[in-house]
Amino acid sequence: MSDAIAYATIRELGARYRTRELSPVEVTRALLARIEKLDPVLHAFVTLTADRALADARAAEEALRRGDARPLLGVPIAHKDIYLTKGIRTTGGSALLADWVPDQESTCGRRWQEAGTVLLGKLITHEFAMGLQFPGHRFAPARNPWNVAHIPGGSSSGSGAALAAGLVHGATGSDTGGSIRGPAAFCGIVGLKPTYGRSSRAGVLTLSWTLDHTGPMARTVEDCALLLQPLAGHDPLDPASSRAPVDDYTASLGRDVRGVRIGVVRNYFFEGIDPEVERAFEEAMATLRRLGADVRDVTIPSLAATHSFLLILLAEAYAYHERDLRAHPELYGDVLRERFLAGALVTAAEYVQAQRIRSQICDETAAALVGVDVLATPTTPRPATPFAQAHDPDFGFPRSNMPPFNITGSPTLALPCGFSSSGLPISLQLAGRPFEEGTVLRVGHAYEQATPWHTRRPPV
Amino acid sequence: MDTPLELTLEELRERIQAAGVTIPDHRLGMVRRLLSDALVHVRALDSRTIKTVEPAVTFVPAGGARHE
Repeated sequence: MSDAIAYATIRELGARYRTRELSPVEVTRALLARIEKLDPVLHAFVTLTADRALADARAAEEALRRGDARPLLGVPIAHKDIYLTKGIRTTGGSALLADWVPDQESTCGRRWQEAGTVLLGKLITHEFAMGLQFPGHRFAPARNPWNVAHIPGGSSSGSGAALAAGLVHGATGSDTGGSIRGPAAFCGIVGLKPTYGRSSRAGVLTLSWTLDHTGPMARTVEDCALLLQPLAGHDPLDPASSRAPVDDYTASLGRDVRGVRIGVVRNYFFEGIDPEVERAFEEAMATLRRLGADVRDVTIPSLAATHSFLLILLAEAYAYHERDLRAHPELYGDVLRERFLAGALVTAAEYVQAQRIRSQICDETAAALVGVDVLATPTTPRPATPFAQAHDPDFGFPRSNMPPFNITGSPTLALPCGFSSSGLPISLQLAGRPFEEGTVLRVGHAYEQATPWHTRRPPV
Repeated sequence: MDTPLELTLEELRERIQAAGVTIPDHRLGMVRRLLSDALVHVRALDSRTIKTVEPAVTFVPAGGARHE
């Protein structure tokens, strides 16, 4: 299969399906062959659903013959393996659930299925969306297609690796402290963490109820917008699901950014930053200025206390896992088990104080977003981490640029903005006001179309 | 006496005992650092200076409560 098909955008695929230049079955067979060839090294997939994919593709072909115009019809996708799939095993990247076959489907999975997508399989995730698999684990960790000695980021590690390697055209991710945006950044792709409540968590394994988000990952901003569209909207099965009206997310793409106010958050996000990342970020701001945006500096002082969010995450994760941790501790990965157990050591008062700090960060971020339309930061302070470092148990849980927007629930986009001298991707993070996904997508799209980064391919 | 910002190893052991969980000795350093890095912000906080009154629970006439 040519790279042109493996890396085609969703719009290009749809256009070629409708002119009969390509068929969903042909593309699906080609991707299955590409997965067979590349995945033994990348380990992006934990379960391949070839029969289901071909059945979905045949149904899409039939629908195309009837003139069905749905934009995601016949688009090959895969789900992060914390999304429950009816009749297909869902491991959570864990030995505990290694053979679990759910009898229900996640809301997101059902909505993409109803949109006509082709399910290629399930993508490896860091164990329970939190712990990188160490050597000896039941499941191998995914590897970064740009350099297989580096992690692809996590926890949506398989999603990032599969998209970068041209194995799928869209994937689900989840994001509690950066798990959509981190892999997007490390793999040179695009990830959107929608507003908290915009995309349902029903039928998705929990990490932390008040921080978990679901959302799409893709290779371009427009693909992300197309994939978000069916995910957005109220779901009675998720108590946090919002009834806010759903925008047309592709409607604002292509509009220029003249006069759009972009706030560069100068505190917190630049501490310990790699000079190459900082340079790429500043060049991205210069590009946005050239496109007509009004780029200015802002500060959000309370972000200094961001890392307190970990108390919320650990306490909620322990509440979710307590029974299994006590009954089957040996089925949790090394290091992850102790991280989850740390949640048992957070006092109630500390949890409440962390939530109060969170409210302060939310208030200050909302105030900053009165004066500007979008906040801009580097997505990660450094490019992808080598496995040798990530597999050091003492590597810990480093301070990160992504949790501030899990704390605030803001819609946040990560997209490529350059490469390091060692050839690893660098990423730009854009955050907007609640339910203004359209604005961050518009700014991201304008930047993307003015730069070449999304057209580069990894050496796989 | 003010609480130290750092979580001491002794305090960590007390918390482990109180919680009734088992964490092997060779992971205590990792857990201590994990919690300390997050706790330092809470311990540095004068809770009376925070203006927000969250977490809160709101009630609606039809019944039911919602944590905000």
